[in-house]
Amino acid sequence: MYYYLRPAMDKEEAIKRPETQAINWLASVTGDVHFWVPTVVLIGGLLLLRWVS
Amino acid sequence: MGQLSSSAAASGAPLLAPGRVRALQRVGVLCGIAAGAWLGAAEVPTKLVTTGISPVLISFLMVAGVFLGRWSLPAIVRGTSGIRADIAEAPHLVIWAIIAGCLWSVANTLTIFAIRDLGLSVAFPLWNTNALIGIVWGVLFFRELHHAGWRRWSAVCGGALIMFLGGMLLARASSSQIASHVASRGIAAALGAGVLWGTMYIPYRKAYLSGMNPLSFVSFFTIGELGMMTALALAYIGGPRSLYRQVTAAQNVLFWLLAAGFVWVIGDIFQQYAVKYVGVSRGIPISNSNQLWGLLWGAVAFGEFRGWQHGAVAGAVWGSLLMALGLAAISFSVADNSEYLKWMEAAEREHRRYGIDIEFVRSGMEGRASTPQQRRTWLDWLLVAAATAAFVWTGARAHWPSIALDGASAIVLLALCLLLLAASVAALWKVTRFN
Repeated sequence: MYYYLRPAMDKEEAIKRPETQAINWLASVTGDVHFWVPTVVLIGGLLLLRWVS
Repeated sequence: MGQLSSSAAASGAPLLAPGRVRALQRVGVLCGIAAGAWLGAAEVPTKLVTTGISPVLISFLMVAGVFLGRWSLPAIVRGTSGIRADIAEAPHLVIWAIIAGCLWSVANTLTIFAIRDLGLSVAFPLWNTNALIGIVWGVLFFRELHHAGWRRWSAVCGGALIMFLGGMLLARASSSQIASHVASRGIAAALGAGVLWGTMYIPYRKAYLSGMNPLSFVSFFTIGELGMMTALALAYIGGPRSLYRQVTAAQNVLFWLLAAGFVWVIGDIFQQYAVKYVGVSRGIPISNSNQLWGLLWGAVAFGEFRGWQHGAVAGAVWGSLLMALGLAAISFSVADNSEYLKWMEAAEREHRRYGIDIEFVRSGMEGRASTPQQRRTWLDWLLVAAATAAFVWTGARAHWPSIALDGASAIVLLALCLLLLAASVAALWKVTRFN
């Protein structure tokens, strides 16, 4: 069995795609749960450090 | 749509043959084992905490060594032009690299407190619960263990249970030897470090599913690391003047702490490759074999068990063995084809959300370069020269710290570390050319 990756869309198609046009870098980051989970844990870690020290 | 697809019927070039998947997984496992040895060895100089140096200062100096290592080693192996080219493909990952670096610094500082209160051989297994946290995030966020089958799930859950029991045994052994308030503070610090490190694997996995080269990722990771650690050192030590005074006063041991950071970098780079090629849920448990190395260094080289009652020593040994058994069960539940396809779906999320070039993602997953190897520049050699100068300068002022160490045992352990280093470097070069 082989794993397949579809070829990249051509540039014209990419430009036409609304979601491609609408990529907002900052919104993508702040709307990403992968960003908030480490951030919350970091804050918790700083509080714990304050307690143990 | 330009996307990764799990369908064999989809049009396009084949991504990975099963043989290639197996080769990459073998490299990942070997890197995980080497990471365990080197991460374990890196904790040894933190024993200096018993000589009266502030835990925060130790962590700060280690991070300084880490910073030197994280820029000089990638500069030699990959080159700063290669690093720049990688980051240009996925600039959003700089944010995750910096967050991961901050998590590392806070966790590392917590471990210094844990070692001070519990001792190296007991604190180690407690913060190695980070593997469990990593598994949870791997399953929740990156589709690891999806379609893995009951055997792999049983191995992972059974392994996690055994690890928990081992950790409890160790905590009990420690609390019988240490004052209860000190033990509870040390246990909280060690478990907290585990949670932070476990969560740090979210940025790792995200980066590697996006096709990032581990050597490029760690270069930015270390900016968060040094920034956070400097802020902590300034806050806890009492400002720049006080920090400078303490650094100057500790110049006899500066070299050892910088070296600890450098050794950590070697282990961490192997850990990054392990996460890249076998995932968080397997790569981290394997590299957490640093627990056994910690036990070996603590018990054999430093004689930490002297003065302990027989029952407590037995508890610590059995606890460590149980944890190692749990880790092994998790480690050898290797991903099969259907699970690998789920990883690709997670990679597709990154590709679509951040508009990363699909060729970049694809080449990253295949373990090959998306761009031709870049030539080394003057900047690369400058970084290497600066790191070398820092080590030579501090080395010339170094004194052997006044701690008991069994030289013969230390040499044997060091030789084993070097052997694993050579084997992993050779395998990485052969299979991936460090991609």
